[in-house]
This record gives sequence, C-alpha cells and structure tokens, in this order.
Amino acid sequence: MTNHRPIVKKLIFSILLPTLVLLGSTSIAQAQDGKALFQSNCASCHNPFKVVTGPALQGVTSRVPDKALLHAWIHNNQKVLASGNPYFNNLFVQFNKTPMNVFPDLSDKDIDAILNYIETAKPPTATEPGNPTTQAAESDNTLLYGILTLILAVIMLILLQVNSSLKKLADDKDGIPAHEPIPFWRNKVYITFIVLILFVVGGYMVVQGAIGLGRQQGYEPVQPIFYSHKVHAGINQISCLYCHSNAMDSRHATVPPLNVCMNCHAAINDYTHGPKLYREDGSEVDGTAEIQKLYSYTGYDPKTSTYDPSKAHPVEWIKIHNLPDHVFFSHAQHTKAGKVQCQTCHGPIQEMNEVKQFAPLSMGWCINCHRTTKVNFPDSAGNNGNKFYSIYERFHKDLRTGKMDSVTVENIGGTECQKCHY
Amino acid sequence: MKKIAVKAARRGADRRSIISALFVILLGAAIFTGCSEVQRDPGRIYMPDMGYSRAYETYATTEEQKAELLSKGIHFSNTPVPGTMKRGELLPFLIEKDKIGDTTDYHASRDVKSPLTSMDTVEAERLYLVNCAICHGPKLDGNGPLYRGGDGPFPAAPAQFVGKAQYENMPEGQMFYSVTYGKNKMGSYASQLSTKQRWMVIAYIKSKQAAGKAAAAPAAGSSTAADSTAKK
Repeated sequence: MTNHRPIVKKLIFSILLPTLVLLGSTSIAQAQDGKALFQSNCASCHNPFKVVTGPALQGVTSRVPDKALLHAWIHNNQKVLASGNPYFNNLFVQFNKTPMNVFPDLSDKDIDAILNYIETAKPPTATEPGNPTTQAAESDNTLLYGILTLILAVIMLILLQVNSSLKKLADDKDGIPAHEPIPFWRNKVYITFIVLILFVVGGYMVVQGAIGLGRQQGYEPVQPIFYSHKVHAGINQISCLYCHSNAMDSRHATVPPLNVCMNCHAAINDYTHGPKLYREDGSEVDGTAEIQKLYSYTGYDPKTSTYDPSKAHPVEWIKIHNLPDHVFFSHAQHTKAGKVQCQTCHGPIQEMNEVKQFAPLSMGWCINCHRTTKVNFPDSAGNNGNKFYSIYERFHKDLRTGKMDSVTVENIGGTECQKCHY
Repeated sequence: MKKIAVKAARRGADRRSIISALFVILLGAAIFTGCSEVQRDPGRIYMPDMGYSRAYETYATTEEQKAELLSKGIHFSNTPVPGTMKRGELLPFLIEKDKIGDTTDYHASRDVKSPLTSMDTVEAERLYLVNCAICHGPKLDGNGPLYRGGDGPFPAAPAQFVGKAQYENMPEGQMFYSVTYGKNKMGSYASQLSTKQRWMVIAYIKSKQAAGKAAAAPAAGSSTAADSTAKK
C-alpha cells in the first residue's frame, strides 16, 4: 500500500499539470477565437457596448440566464420566436421586427467563445490627451517685440533728456542766455515729422482698407455645429468628395444634406475616439454634444433609431468663401478638367478644426495661378493628357519644335476677361 | 525771478512731451498686440449688389432672400419632385423601400439586373474609393479607416465583400437595394450617387469579387473570371 502512494501522487500530478496548462491556453485561444467569430458573424449588427441594428450585447448572459435558450436563439431565432418566448418576442418588436440572421453552423463551443468575448470585452478607452493650440506661443513673440521697442524708446527719451540737460548746464556755465523753450506742438521739426508719418501710415492704411473691402481672407465664423474637418477628413480619412459630392460635377462643391452626416452618425453617437477638441478661444468642445445637435436638426431619436420629420430643421451653415456675383467660378472645371486638389485653394483643410478662408480669393490670386499652372496637355505624340486640347494646333506645333516647353492656363485663354466675367 | 519761472516752464514742457510720447508708444503697442488672429467677422464690402447675387444662389442668399425662401418652406437640399428624373440618367429603380419590419421588397430586389452594358472602370473605382472604401475598405475587406477592426469610431462591422460567401453570392439587385435605401446601419447613398453611379460601384464590387475568387481557386479561376466578364 505504501508503495502506491508516490505513484498515485505522480499520476495525479502528471494529469493535473498538462490539463492546467491546456485549460489556460484554451481560454486564451477561446478569447481570440471569440473576437474573430464575433467580428465575422455578429459585428455587422451588434456591438458589445452600443445599440446598433441589434441590442448591445454585454451582459446578455445575465439577461438570459438559460444557456440552452440563448444557444437556441443564436442557432435559429425564428424557432424561438415561434415558440412564443415573451422576452425575445418583446425584443423583436422593440427592434422594429428586424429579422436576425440564423447561425445553424455555429457550434456550441463557438457560441461560448463569442459569449465569453462579449462579456470580457472592454469599452474603447476615452479620449487621449490632445495638444492645445500653439497659437499662444506665436502671439507671445509680438508681445516681446513690443516690450523691447517700448524699453528702447524709453531709454532713447531718457538719453535725449540727459543730453538737453547737459547742454543747458554747459550753456549756463558759458553764460549763453537760455532762450525760451519751444513746446513740441510748435516745434516745426516735430510737426513735419508727425505729418509725414501720418501721411505715409494713413495713406497705406487707406489703400489697404480699400483693396481689402469685400475680401475675407482668414474669415473664420462660428458655425452652428462645431464640425471639425480635422477629425473627419484628417484623422478619419474621409474623402472630401464623400460629403462635397458635387464638386466634380457642379459649380458648387455643395454643403451635404444632413442625411449624409447620418450615414455614419446614425451609428456613431458619441465622440470617444479622437483627440480633445478646442475652439479658437481655447475652450474645450464636447464632441458628443455636437453630435446631439445634429440629431436635433435631423429630428432623429437615437433611442428608437427613428426620425421625426416635423422636428427637423435645416442647419444654417455660414458661407465662408464668397466670390462676387460678377465672377463665374465652377468647381467642376477646376477639379475634373484641371485636376486641382481641394487644398490648393482651401489650404490644409484636413488640419482645421474650424474652417477659415485660406486664400485671398482676389483677382490677382486667380490670375497668378492661371499664369503659372500648366494644363494637362497631350505630349508631342498626342498621347495622354486631356484630349480636348488637341484643338490647339499651334501650341502642339510649338511644343514639337521646342518653341514652348509647356502650356499654361493663360496660353489657352485663362486670363481673358470674359473667361470669368460675362 | 524770471529765470526761475522760465526754467520751471521748460521743465514742465519737457515732462509733458515725455508723457505724451510714452502714451503714443503704449497706444501703438496695444494696437499692435491687441489684434486677435481669429477673424470672426467677414469684413465690409462696397457695392453689395455686385458682391451678392440678385438671383437665388445655393447657400449664398442675402438675408431678405433667406427670409422669403423660409416663409415658403423652401430649403436648399430638397429631394427631386416625385416622378421626375435627371437628363441622361438611367431608368429609375422601381422597387420601393420596405416598411419597417417588412422584407418583401428587399427580397424582390434580387431579380433586378444591372442595366449597365459597359462602364468606365477607372471612374467606378474612384467612386468606390470615395464613397464606400471609408467603411468597406479599399481592399473590399470590410475594414476601412472608420472601422479599423473594431478600433475605429464606427461600432458595426461593415460588410466584407471579398472572401465572404454571404456577400459574394448576393445578387446585384439586392446590393442596389441596400445602396439606394440603406441597410442596417448603412445609410442611403441615393443623394450622393446617381442611379448609374450606384450600378457602377456594384459592378466594380462584383468584378473584384470575381477576381478574388479567381485568385483563391487558380485552377478553375481562369474560366470563371472569363465568364463573369463576359456577362457584363
């Protein structure tokens, strides 16, 4: 009997150890499998933490404690509904009777892995710290220059004063009578100097102001919703044309109708993934609240995922880029024929939280670009390029003979008055 | 006596000149630094009737025009008048949107065939990349920048077009239904893509699916790829 003890111990140990190791490894493998299975089978309609097309799933095992019932539901929900289960029938009605797919091929083990993933998944971490705007540093510099100028001016004044006092002392000593001092407003040198400065500065300001009338470079109005192009076009890489879908075909790039916003925001109802957002005055923006504003404009109820058209009203966006009425401008021609990038005229829009007018939109600015931009001319053999330009025979000849090396917009009439003014 | 008075007057004048000069410099500094970088005001305009259109312009109405339009209940992004269609557009999709909780029309759309006989494949790819790739991925793998394998802001997994039988076998008419009216958490793309453009995008997806299948089964691939291209 005593001989058996160590053997038994050994036996138990040799069985226990591998099973323990196995158990550990299977649970890890299960979690991974669970995520993959969830992503490929469930994730198009369900999210562990959010109501999407179907309910948020975390906590489902406590809501439906009967494991066999839950498995039956996932395998074939139609059968469970037909059996008249009150919980699932209620849920079905609550979610607008959207039928759930059936998953007869998922094994019980697969379902357990999925449920395990759902219950152990952690919600995405909240906003990572962003960096506040760096504009304060820039204005600090000007302040420094201002203070330096002030100090230098004070030193100059003191030195002038010392100089005049010394002169006066010297005059007193030499017996030269001090004549009546002339106050500065009657001093001709001062007056000429001031008049000259006023004339130059005033003239400059008047001319600049007159030229600047009707120009809005840098205009950055407060929009009704804090819509950040940086978050949408920059961080999330949404193409400009996704929203401004008419830029290729129309005069206007068009501000999208709100249904375009709701393509994504029917599902994305909070701002948790991006950096912190700040207004120009440094105050922090609550991204989630801004998305709620969108819901109030569209009359959307995120709880029931339904729209109430009677509550919907248009967002009154403030137009920033305004060309005078006597200029014709078409986005389509510039984007489709000219293949000009949005950023050429609108600046680094993917980095702007609040959009401002980047270009002066003056005539000189237009003309300058027309003079320097080369058009997409076919090469000397007539290949590539825009075939429309084949009508410019003389330019083709000049290109062949080497008289010209490229054709600019100006060459094909891009600086003619009636090109834009008619 | 006189000398002292003159001296005092002189000193007074000097002091005044110093104070006024200091004041001018301070004022200049204040103007120089006081200007904010953020320009919230559009500025002034001369001859506004040449600046702003007298005719109604999209998004560029004057205040009076805006009031007039609003009183008539007119907004800029209206839907087209029912029963009308754009010039040069394909015939409309006749299947209507299902009522909530109904799937009859969704199933009926299976039988609709694409009216496209030929298309500009480069343009179709561009349309896909602009409008669809943001969720469904540039590689059609259902993993675009908005989803990022579950780490992106979009909470639901987009359809994985290539490599998943459910979508590879989905009839093009049903895809068209989903793109036109939306499906699950995907919205309608009817306002962004014309009927023709929607069919182009679907043809692009179908061609990529065929190419994916051909790559997966190289032995039988050449014949199926040839078949699918012959059909279009």
